[in-house]
Amino acid sequence: MGSSAADKALNLLRYLPRVCLANIRDNPGAVKKSRRGRGQHGGDYHGDGNKGSGQRQNFMRLGYETGNNPFYLRFPWEPYYKGHHLRRQYPPLSLEQLQLFVETNRVDASKPIDLVSIMNTGLYQIFPDKHQFGVHLTDEGADLFKCKVNIEVQWASELVIASVEKAGGTITTAYYDQHSLQAMINTKKFFERGIPIPRRMMPPPDAIEYYSDPCKRGYLADPEEISKERLVLSQKYGYVLPNIEKDKDYTLLTERKDPRQIFHGLHPGWVVNLKDKTILKPQNEDLKEYYAS
Amino acid sequence: MSTMSLLAKTSKVLLETCYKNISTKYTPLRFHGFFNSPFLEDVQIKARYEVTKSPEDWKYVERILPPLTVPELPQREVFISDFKPQGENHKHKPYYIARTRNHMIPVYLKIKQRGVKKLSYIRKIQGDIWLLQKELEKFLQPMSKAPLRMQVNEFAGTIIMNGDYVNAIKHWLKENDY
Repeated sequence: MGSSAADKALNLLRYLPRVCLANIRDNPGAVKKSRRGRGQHGGDYHGDGNKGSGQRQNFMRLGYETGNNPFYLRFPWEPYYKGHHLRRQYPPLSLEQLQLFVETNRVDASKPIDLVSIMNTGLYQIFPDKHQFGVHLTDEGADLFKCKVNIEVQWASELVIASVEKAGGTITTAYYDQHSLQAMINTKKFFERGIPIPRRMMPPPDAIEYYSDPCKRGYLADPEEISKERLVLSQKYGYVLPNIEKDKDYTLLTERKDPRQIFHGLHPGWVVNLKDKTILKPQNEDLKEYYAS
Repeated sequence: MSTMSLLAKTSKVLLETCYKNISTKYTPLRFHGFFNSPFLEDVQIKARYEVTKSPEDWKYVERILPPLTVPELPQREVFISDFKPQGENHKHKPYYIARTRNHMIPVYLKIKQRGVKKLSYIRKIQGDIWLLQKELEKFLQPMSKAPLRMQVNEFAGTIIMNGDYVNAIKHWLKENDY
């Protein structure tokens, strides 16, 4: 049997109960009892004022009607805006603004216009972390719109689609998930992070219908259906549909991204090195399979 | 009793070794931030990859990199949007209003007092600001029943006026080639 203090303490510990949530005590000072200090501010009334209702009356909680069925509980709940804070938002960009961007050389109409080129103007912003999912092209200035563009937006009305197609251009609506958007909003910053270009995710179930609808020019729709709908829309709005097959900019107007691609010409999985001006392409079979569309 | 003594013996050794290590070798380290964490060096990348330097692919990278400066205005005969580039020959005019770096007219609407007070704000005025004020007043006064209230800051080159006259001022400045 040992005789040192440490041995005695260890011996004692064997017979003591284990420390657990049931028998530990709060840290000293952890629990503070709310006390109304009698002489705290020279013995005044602690915010209750002098005499009368302030000191003596019982102020009931908000909405309480002394035993009546309260007004705020009297009617059934009608949650019109339930989940509105979770819905996808598309900050607007008008056709008039787009026209201005093209005319003042902020956007190059000789290349396909997408979210990246609109963000690169510095005149339009989106915040993916605030549930903003891209551009909503609005119809302001639709009558004056005269730019032949190949534009890809995230949301567009029928009138907008008609005015873009009337001007001889093409429009696509495409979905980007938040990680892809984060890469697109500042490409330089993204490439400097040195991570592979993400593959674009498929739209969520409530958006897949929109993005595979040829009337909405969805990027997942059948191209033949889209060309049919182009003609239908031109007849509805009463304009002669420009023939893009015979257009000299046919390759520009028909350039489309792969559904898994977020940048034109750059495959997901590639790492762009801006310093050495090189592109690293993965060779592993599993990575190739992961990034394939 | 023998097990008890054995336990005491081993615990003594354990305590001694712990004590030794704690007193001399253990230095608390806690990486609680980006800047005081150690630098990641010699990362072992297991994935095989190919380093390419093809100008064809790089063309697409350059296409999506944001431009460092605001692009020059193109030579264009007709503007369909309401944009009008600034005219030339301002040398002999008594005052001058420079365009912004985005080639726009520096006239803005400031809304104050939670949307109650509207102020039109003209910036970047050079030269005879008082003459500009008189001419603007002559143009804008018919639009308002009350006399226009204008605040001319000659030093800062700004005119602030009460009321929303932004589109009218922009129109007037475009008419006068500014």
